[in-house]
Parts: sequence; structure tokens; C-alpha cells
Amino acid sequence: MTTTQILKLDDPAQQKQPGALRTIGRMIRVIWSNNKAKLGMIILALFILVAIFAPLLAPYGAQTNTFERNADASPAHWLGTTAAGEDVLSQLIYGAQVSVLVGFVAGILATLVAVAVGLSWGYIRGFGADVIGFIVNLFLVIPALPLMIVIAAYLQNGGFGVIIAVIVVTGWAWGARVLRSQTQSLRGRDFVTAARFSGDRAGRIVFREILPNMTSLIVGSFFGAATSAILAEAGLEFLGLGDSSIVSWGTILYWAQNSNSLLTGQWVLLFAPGLCIALLAMSLTLINFGVDAVSNPRLREGTKK
Amino acid sequence: MSDTTLTAGAASAGATSPAASGSAADAPGAAATPILDVRELSVIYESAGQTPVQAVDHVSFQLKRGEFVGLVGESGSGKSTLGFALTRLQKPPARTNSGQILFDGHDIRELDDEELRRQRQGGFAMVLQSGMNALNPVRRIRDHFIDIYKAHGHVPRDRWQARSEELIGKVELPVAMLDRYPGELSGGMRQRVSIALALSLEPQLMVFDEPTTALDVLVQHAVMDTIRSLQQSEGFTAILISHDLGIVLESTERVLVMHEGRIVEDGTSRQILDDPQDEYTRMLLSHYADPRAEVVSLPGFEDRSVRRADGRSRADSATSAPSVATRGKRSAQAAIVVDGVSKTYAPPRRGEDPVRAVRDVSFTLEPGQSLALVGQSGSGKSTLAKMITGVEAPSEGRITFGDLDVAKLRGKRVRELHRDVQMVFQDPYAALNPLHTVEYILTRPIVNFTGATKQQARMRVRELLETVGLTPVEQFAQKLPHQLSGGQRQRVVIARALASDPQVIIADEPVSMLDVSLRAGVLALLEDLREQWGVSLLYITHDLLSARLITDDILVLHDGQVVERGDTAQVLQHPQDDYTVALLDAVPDPRRARVSA
Repeated sequence: MTTTQILKLDDPAQQKQPGALRTIGRMIRVIWSNNKAKLGMIILALFILVAIFAPLLAPYGAQTNTFERNADASPAHWLGTTAAGEDVLSQLIYGAQVSVLVGFVAGILATLVAVAVGLSWGYIRGFGADVIGFIVNLFLVIPALPLMIVIAAYLQNGGFGVIIAVIVVTGWAWGARVLRSQTQSLRGRDFVTAARFSGDRAGRIVFREILPNMTSLIVGSFFGAATSAILAEAGLEFLGLGDSSIVSWGTILYWAQNSNSLLTGQWVLLFAPGLCIALLAMSLTLINFGVDAVSNPRLREGTKK
Repeated sequence: MSDTTLTAGAASAGATSPAASGSAADAPGAAATPILDVRELSVIYESAGQTPVQAVDHVSFQLKRGEFVGLVGESGSGKSTLGFALTRLQKPPARTNSGQILFDGHDIRELDDEELRRQRQGGFAMVLQSGMNALNPVRRIRDHFIDIYKAHGHVPRDRWQARSEELIGKVELPVAMLDRYPGELSGGMRQRVSIALALSLEPQLMVFDEPTTALDVLVQHAVMDTIRSLQQSEGFTAILISHDLGIVLESTERVLVMHEGRIVEDGTSRQILDDPQDEYTRMLLSHYADPRAEVVSLPGFEDRSVRRADGRSRADSATSAPSVATRGKRSAQAAIVVDGVSKTYAPPRRGEDPVRAVRDVSFTLEPGQSLALVGQSGSGKSTLAKMITGVEAPSEGRITFGDLDVAKLRGKRVRELHRDVQMVFQDPYAALNPLHTVEYILTRPIVNFTGATKQQARMRVRELLETVGLTPVEQFAQKLPHQLSGGQRQRVVIARALASDPQVIIADEPVSMLDVSLRAGVLALLEDLREQWGVSLLYITHDLLSARLITDDILVLHDGQVVERGDTAQVLQHPQDDYTVALLDAVPDPRRARVSA
């Protein structure tokens, strides 16, 4: 073993990178090979594109209220106008920004909390685990919607941040529970014991040995959390608990309800944002079918048959 | 008595199936037509995004009625795939891509689902390795039988009780078992129940896929005896699929040896034993030996066996160790002293007695010694290993390593213990994180225990790989566990155990998950390491043959107690305790089959 040979080697950091990238790349390929997930990814991509390019796509400004009020669909206003005289299509397009953003940010934050709590809860034993268990169970048994309403009402008009905070606080517990049980089963594996024999510390074992083996579960729990975040955001806005001055699908519904659009025959005002919410949530759920196939190869064979 | 009733039952039921000739099984003329005729059968695995694997490759053979045939091969030989294909239990991505399977003259590949379902009664049945886990945990054993009667209607309702009792008796279980739930039965009992369930279908052909592999050594032996006597009394045709040539040769009349999807040898058990034609069969046979023999020899152990037989010289190996160690390794200095250790677990259910896993065990593992800890599962040998490595604390007694009191170690001190006491795990497939390269896996203990720099660690990884014989080292360092074979993985596990330069290695059944042909290599490696590095070895196993090969002393554990101890060769040649004798009898040995035959 000479030094020249050693120098020829890549840096270990570089070697690790392709490994992680390969895992993710393989995962995306598997998800893409599932037809349901493919459909979900296409729908999701459409919504993301619409959100990003909203200023280009929308015919008018989101809050331009200089048009005729309660107008029906017309070439100028494809979906009509609201009671305040805003263009519904433009509002719908701009509204995608809020839903996608809240969905992803709240989903990521809730997943991070779930990973941190779930993994440590699953790894430690004894009194500490009981304490965490008590707290998680507390969040699980409290009905989420009333809790959300209470918190949101308490922090009235906090805008975006508050909505996200409320969703994260109420949405992490289920993921933590799922990740905990997987952690518990992985911690009993020989390779975890072996890492302990190799002198690795608890933190390293949890994040370098256990965590990478649950990637698909974490991704799945992220999509689950994002779905419920989108639904919760729309729900809170609809109930008027968010910032009703911003334009989102939830606020469109809120104002439509306030102006009795259904009675005035403007069902599009309720239907269009409702459909968008449903489609976006559905796209994430569909992607989750593909994620399941990553963690369970048997489902994968099934899709190919 | 029961035999006649069964034959009658089979005959009456057989009328509905194409196998109406079932009752003619013992007629001399019927024996001429094969019950199963496999012609040029090929099975291919086609997974999405992977290159197809031809698991079974143009296999042809015939089975006569009432024959008991063994199908032997190592993992990946396609033997189970063939078994699943024969019983039409194969699932995608496996696909039969050519050939015919004629069962009683009909090609079973052409049956539709309903025909296939009806065929299960009076046709062919399969007993799986995990069959014992196939029982529904919330239903009594009786209900499992009744389900089958209902599905096929071959037993009239008023005979259900009598028939179930008869079947459960055939597999040598008490009738009371019918009212138990699967969870209340041991693994061996559940496997017997699954055999009885298969029998209840009155099959003409039974395929046993590794029926005893998941069971404990002693139980394994008893279940095989049951299968053998059942086959003789019931007269069904049977295929025994197994990786263990010893078991197969002991039980069957004819053996098919499979290797890489092909049948490389087909002959009577006698022929295979006395005059094996194929290189592969000869290689398999060479890995069996009787641990009781004067001289025990396996491939890779030829020279050792002699030395051990004429009074092994521990003094020799101890003194030679430092000089052999080329890089000036320190040899083991501290002894592990286990003194009056007991371990009691809380009762599994309220009102039951606490489980006494280990009772008052004392022994000393001297520096450089190799000691075997032998016993069946549940004998407490793994619990002892956990206590010695500080994973669990003993309920009573003391375990010391040098001046460390193992039971009292916490946190950082445990890490100190692990620097000197390392472990080789049983299952090489579970002991390596599938996402880390060999390099990473080996670097961790080096960095943690020796404080080496990156460069030093990299050098050391390559040395270790060289030591365990994984060359070219550069290639192996970059590999992920799934790119390695079982034997190579176990070498990585051993390399990891060596990385911290330990004084003691505890090997918990290190070869039991490996194919027979790979075992000798791993054992020889352990033996070499002990001699050259001077580490002490605690070898935990139920396999007396391997204990004989690589250990000096032996400790036989039964129900947590030491029942026998002493020099390994002495104890195995002249066992005193009944339990040791039972363990010795359970070692499958093809040559012994010849003696008894």
C-alpha cells in the first residue's frame, strides 16, 4: 500500500455524494414508473408552474377590483368576477401560490418535527421515551380542527406565518408516531448494534445508520403532511381565521360564501377553488402510491404486471 | 388402522379429481407411469429495470409414485423456484418461459384458477419453510382444518372431528392441540400442524420446501423423523427441498443436485454418497464430517485436524502468536471471567414464572483461548454473549474483563469495553447497513477507537480487507453490501470486528446463515486470526462440527445451565451428558446414513 495509490482515490465526501444522489435518483425512477404517481407528479408540476408563473399567466392583477361585480363568465373574464369586482381566474391562478407554498413549507416543517421527535422517541428507552410518548399522544388525541381554530383565533390576523405555525403544531404527531415505530424496529437490527460496537454515538447512529433507511417513509410522511397542510390552510381561510386580505383558494371560498354566490348562481366561485384544492391534494396522494412502491418492492412488481 | 381409513378417503375423494388412479398407488403396474414428469422446464425472473435471471434452466426429471426425492442446492440454485413452479404457487416476477410439467399426464400449466384450486385436494400440496407462520393467530388449530374441509368438501361434516384428530395424531401431536391457538404452540409444533394441514388434502405429491430450516436443531431432527415415517406410512410422493445435503441423504432414496438452475446430478442416495459424479456434488459432500471422529477434516482444515487430534498444543499457539503477528500486534492480555452469573427475565405474562435464561454459569476465557459455547436455541448462549458485551446486565454474579466490571459500565466505559471486546454477528445480511460502503463501515471503528487520521484510516481499511481475504482491496472498499455474497459480507463483518484491534472476539453463530461451501472458508479465517493476532475467541454455536474445528475448549449449555465442559475433542468423542449426545445425534451426516442403512 503506497501513498500514490491512496492519492488516486477520490475524496470520501465525493464518494458519498453519488451514493445519496443515486438513492434519490432511483427513488424518483421507481415513483415515475408507477402510473398513479406519474399522474400525480404531472398534476403537481402543473400547479407549481402555475404558481411560479402566476404574474405572467394571470390576465389581471389578483386584487384589481375595478371590474363589473358578480359578472358571469365572458371572454374577458373566463370564470366571471367576484362580488368585489375581481377577476376569478386571476385570483385562482394567484391563489395557487399560497396553497403550494403553505403546503410545502408547512409539510417540510411538520416532517422535520416528526423526524426529530419520532427518531429520538424510537431510539431512546425508559423514562425519556415515556415522556415523549405522553406529549405525542396528547397531540394525537386532541381533535386537530378545533385546536387549529382555537390557536388561529387566538393569534388573529397573523397572516401566513401563523397559518403555517398552526398547521405544523397540529400536524406533526402522526408522522412522529409512524417514524417511531419504524425506528424501533430498525434499532433492533444487527447493523445498529454493530454501529454501537463500532463506537458510534447515539446521534450518529440515529442520523447516519437509521435515518437513511427510512427515506421512503419520511418522503411519504412529507407528502401526507403537505396534503393535510393544504387542506387545513384552505379550511382555516374558508372559516375566516386566516388573513382574509390575501388571495388564496381558501379566501376565494370565504368571500364567495360571504356573498352568497351559490344563491346568485355563481357556483363557479365555489367550484373552481374547491376543485383546485382537491386536485392538488389528490396529486400528492397519488405520488404517495409511488412512494409506497419504493419501500415495498412487491407493490412495484404489481404495477408492472 | 388410520392408514386404511385414509386410503379409503383418498379413493372416494379422488373420484372428483383427474387423479382417480390414486388408490392404485400401491399396485405394481401404476408405478411405471411417472406421477410427475417435468420436461425442459425453465423459469425466469423478470423484474422491472433489472436484467432477467434464468433461475431454472431447462430442467427435466421424472418422479415415480411413492418416491421420496431430495432436491439439494445452495442459495440461488433455483431449487425453491422449481418447487414453486411445480405446485403452481409461483408469482410474478417469476415466469415459466418454457417446458412442461405433467402431473398425472396433465400439464398443470394449463389449469385455470378453479381447476387449480380443486387440484389442491388430492393433487399436490406444499409445506413451506415459514409454513408455521402461515397459521392465522386468532383462530384455533381446529378451525384451520375445518376451513380446508369446507373449501373442498371432501370430508363429510360428521367426520370433521374424527378426521382432525386422526391427522393431528399422524404428526405426533396430542389431540388437545386442536383447541389451542397458533401462538400457544412452539415453532416445531406449528410446523407439524402445517404438515397435517397439507396432509388433510390427501395429496398425491407433497413438496417440502426447507421444512425444518427455521426450526431449532433438536426439533429439526424430530420433525424430519415425522416426515420420513409419514411418507412411508401414507405412501405419498414427496420432494424434499433443502440446502443441507446431510438431511436429504439421511431421509430420501433419490437425490437431485441443483446448481445454477440446472440439475447437475440425479441418482440414488447411495450412488451420490459413494460415487458422486459431479464436481459440485463432491464439493458439497466434502463439507460434512462427524464431529465425533478421531480426526476431523474439512476443506481448508486439513493440516489443523491432525494437530488437534493428537492433543492440541495451546502453549504452542500462545507462544507463537506474537512472532507470527507480522505487524507486532498486541495479543490478548486480559481474561474474561464470568463468575456465578444468572439472568432472569420478567415473566412474559402475569401469573407465569419468570424466565431464567442463564443460571449460575461460571467460566474463564483465558487470553488467546478459543472456547465454544454450545446449545440449542433458548439455552441461554446468546444471553451470555449479550451480558459479556455489556448489552445486558446480569441479574446475579459478576463479569469482569481485566479490571473492568462489565455489568457496571455506562456510556463512555461501554465504548472502552468495545475497543477490546468485539462481536461477529450471525446474519451477515442484517449486520451491514445496506446504504454504506465497505469503506465507511470499516472506517467507523478505526476512527472511533484509534483516533486515526483519514489517511491512516484509509490505509488500515485496506490492510483489514487484505487480512480477511477480500482482494483486490480497492474494489471491495467501494462496494455496497448488496454487491457482495453472503461469505464476503461475513468477511466484512469480521474485518469490522478486527478494526479496533480487539483482544476478544465473540462470534455468535457466524456461519449458520452461510451456504455449506462458504462455511469452511469463514471458519478458517477465524482460526487464522486467532492464531496470528492472538485474540481470544468465544464461539457461540449449535453446530458441533464447527466447534470441533476451531475451538480448544467447550461449554455445553442446556436451559441456562452448564451441563458439560472440557476439552472440545474429548467432550465430543466421549460425551457424558445426555444432552450433549442428543446434540451430536442431531448433526446431519450423510456418512452416518450409510452406516445405518
